[in-house]
Amino acid sequence: MRNLDPIFEPKSIAVIGASHEPGKIGHVITKNFIDGGFMGRVYPINPNASEILGLKAYPTVGDVPDKIDSAVVAVHAELVPSVLQQCGEKGISGVVVISGGFSEVGNYKLEQQLVDVAKKYNINVIGPNCLGVLNPAARNDSIFLPMYKMGRPKVGDISFISQSGAVGGCIIDLAARAGIGMGKFVSYGNASVVDEADLLDYLANDDKTRVIVAYIEGVKRGRAFMDAAKKVTAEKPVIVLKAGRGKAAQEAAKSHTGALAGSHEVYSAAFKQCHIIEADGLEDLFNFSKILDYPICSGDRIGIITNGGGTGVLAVDEVEKNGLQLAKFSESTREQLRKLLPNYANATNPLDIVGDADSNRYEQAIDIVTKDPNVDFLVIIVLFQTVGIDSRVVNVIVKAREKGQKPIAVISTGGEYTEFHRRIMDSYGVPTYGSPEDALRSVAKFVGYCKAKKPVK
Amino acid sequence: MIQMPALDFESSLSLLKRHGVRFPDYGVAKSPAEAARMAKKLGYPLALKLISKDILHKTDVGGVKLNIADEKQLSKAYSEIASAVPKSKLDGILIQKMAPQGVELLVGGKMDVQFGPVIAFGLGGIFVEIFKDVSLRVCPIDKNDAREMIREIKGYPILAGARNTKPVDEAALVELLVNVSKLMMGNKITELDLNPVMAYSNGYYAVDARILVP
Repeated sequence: MRNLDPIFEPKSIAVIGASHEPGKIGHVITKNFIDGGFMGRVYPINPNASEILGLKAYPTVGDVPDKIDSAVVAVHAELVPSVLQQCGEKGISGVVVISGGFSEVGNYKLEQQLVDVAKKYNINVIGPNCLGVLNPAARNDSIFLPMYKMGRPKVGDISFISQSGAVGGCIIDLAARAGIGMGKFVSYGNASVVDEADLLDYLANDDKTRVIVAYIEGVKRGRAFMDAAKKVTAEKPVIVLKAGRGKAAQEAAKSHTGALAGSHEVYSAAFKQCHIIEADGLEDLFNFSKILDYPICSGDRIGIITNGGGTGVLAVDEVEKNGLQLAKFSESTREQLRKLLPNYANATNPLDIVGDADSNRYEQAIDIVTKDPNVDFLVIIVLFQTVGIDSRVVNVIVKAREKGQKPIAVISTGGEYTEFHRRIMDSYGVPTYGSPEDALRSVAKFVGYCKAKKPVK
Repeated sequence: MIQMPALDFESSLSLLKRHGVRFPDYGVAKSPAEAARMAKKLGYPLALKLISKDILHKTDVGGVKLNIADEKQLSKAYSEIASAVPKSKLDGILIQKMAPQGVELLVGGKMDVQFGPVIAFGLGGIFVEIFKDVSLRVCPIDKNDAREMIREIKGYPILAGARNTKPVDEAALVELLVNVSKLMMGNKITELDLNPVMAYSNGYYAVDARILVP
């Protein structure tokens, strides 16, 4: 396994191609290290400057008198192999090459030179042609997108790997806005040295990562990827969005099997064999990852609490559609609920605590239903539009999440007031959804993963 | 399009048989007299199939005759197939015992660029192109994988015995899939089709085979 610690948790970092000019990538990266509060030392490397953004600059990494753990490279593609060689001579073992202009534009020769240098000096190279690396816990941020344009997520335990820089940038920005905590992020570009299988291996052993999310266009080493994925998914969930559903290979096929087993279908099969959860789109990545942050689920029996009858019925439909079971409340649960509820409400699942419910009634209903041994997973529907509901219900739900008796998901459909409260809950680790469809589809993925993790009978 | 040579029919069959794939009894005849002798030994009804390296879709050229019931039909079918292609392209005619009708399935293999050998299972015969109801796995697979593949297709109720029909022999199909997986792992094969495979409540027969090699 490759030791990528220097890349994710460096104590000192060189920015090769650091610049004075605000429009330059090397400037943004240097500035982000400073503004982001990176706690290690930063060495700007630029042969034409003695100081950049208040930091002493050096002509080459070789001129830096101290030890350097990692380097970020943002220079012209042609210069990358020689710069990489200097890193090797300096003993830097982890390098992120942001620069583009390699195999992605047909320049295979230059990329091969990069690979050769990396091999010679045993350097773990991320990229080339990538967005950079982000580790919020270490305040390590080599993402070259300015902070005022792209938000940075809080510290969490969901780690992301993205082949595409563009999609990677969107993922970071969306995660930041949705209040989702991030473990590590890496955009790995051309994967010429460190590829997705290496990254999976590394994150599998990273105790700060609980869930791995990947955006992949194509894997480099199919079998190695599967081997790595099988090992990881036995420990933690892996969610993959695979893009590029090419048809070219199918058109060339001569047999039935050839035509049916297109590249995307084979990817899906491989994912299934490794217990990888396949996402259908970018939204899925977040919908699935935040629920898979729960450690375990005891089964597929869903309890539902709602303050709106209709949304409860929609949720029941989705329970069925996604192959889950509607829990049957125990007699003792029903007895307690009858005491709690107004006499016009039914003490059955889905539990409609009716339109005048307030946070107190939610608290008691949640308490009763979570204790029911017939319930494996609790779906709480909160419609924030009603008179009785205000921010206090958020406290109730977050407290229930922290008690951790049963996994919980919240469905809140609505506008700005609703969205505001959803964000708070999400940032406290309560997965929230805007619709019963999104919620139960995600619950089903979580339940399915937990089932697959148990030994097959 | 890249031209991929097909393995000739006899080599395909013998390779598959070595891997435990079951076919109805057959022989390859080079003349009508030989065909008649084989027919007597095999017993009717029979299927006759054109063998030619140059022709991939033998049905399209009239190279398949089914349910041959007696010697008269045999000689007619033989001459029709023989005259369907130029003599130089005729490598022989397969005389095969007709497999009874069963549930028609497809078992296939493919070399995938990223993942290597892949195995497919699904509804076969004329349903293949319409329903595209297949499950796939990257090889090698074990018996559990094979069972999962069988139960995963949408048409599984047909195999499990829908509407008072007997369920097909799942254990035999599991064995077939594991064997084809071994074959894919141990040989350089670009594409492989067993279609149809007739599944019965007791066993199965692979009726037709096509193997493409690099």
